[in-house]
Amino acid sequence: MSRLGTRQTHQDSGAALLLAIGFVLMISVIVAGLAALATSGLNNRTTLEVLRNRQYAADGAIEQAISQARVLTCSPTTGFLVDSSFSSGPIRVDWLNVCGSVPASDGSAYPQRNVVFSACPDLGAACDPAQIVIRAQVNFEPASGTVTRTIVQSWSVKR
Amino acid sequence: MLTIVIIGLTVTALLSGLATISNAGTAQRNGVLADVVLRDYAETTKAATQVCVASATYPVNYVPPAGFTVSSSPSSNVCPAPGTPQQLTLTVDGPQGLHETMQIKVRTP
Repeated sequence: MSRLGTRQTHQDSGAALLLAIGFVLMISVIVAGLAALATSGLNNRTTLEVLRNRQYAADGAIEQAISQARVLTCSPTTGFLVDSSFSSGPIRVDWLNVCGSVPASDGSAYPQRNVVFSACPDLGAACDPAQIVIRAQVNFEPASGTVTRTIVQSWSVKR
Repeated sequence: MLTIVIIGLTVTALLSGLATISNAGTAQRNGVLADVVLRDYAETTKAATQVCVASATYPVNYVPPAGFTVSSSPSSNVCPAPGTPQQLTLTVDGPQGLHETMQIKVRTP
């Protein structure tokens, strides 16, 4: 009996070490996965911060463009500005000036001046539709003469 | 003996790794909260200027969540002239030294 017992002890020796190595590998995989998850989350946060700052910079650049468009008449019909005052980078705003008229309650034609603004990161050329961050349409009243108020008709954040 | 040492080191590494990841999670949650606070503060500020009259002041009634403070520079809250939008730098300070800034522009309609 004692000979058999001695043989069994020799067969099992080293099994604990193998189990320990397996345990180490398992824990390593778990910790690596969690670390990758945490790193990914922090990187995504940075990306979202850049995106947020760019969206609000585009928003501000359009506000700037609206102020400049107050003094326009029906001509010129297009134009742009580059606003470099934001730390997140220069923003270009292209605008399209559209004059027309709508019927008033008394049946007469009421003149309208709407301007469509498109803001994008400035790449030295007109805004590519795929790069537009915000597009807005603003109504200026009255259509001619000194503008007394502006009405935002649409304001869409694209990306 | 070797096995015990290996398992001891592994458990120690596991615990420290979990603690680090927990801290990272807290930092991420605070960062996301700061982002929400900054956006809310910006929108409240912009909304306040919608009724602006040149040279008047516009009140920004925003109360940040506990643990966060907000400020703007310049802090005078004076409505700008209609043709000259004003650039504001908004700042949020939060737990664990969290500090975020963002620039916006406001204008008088």
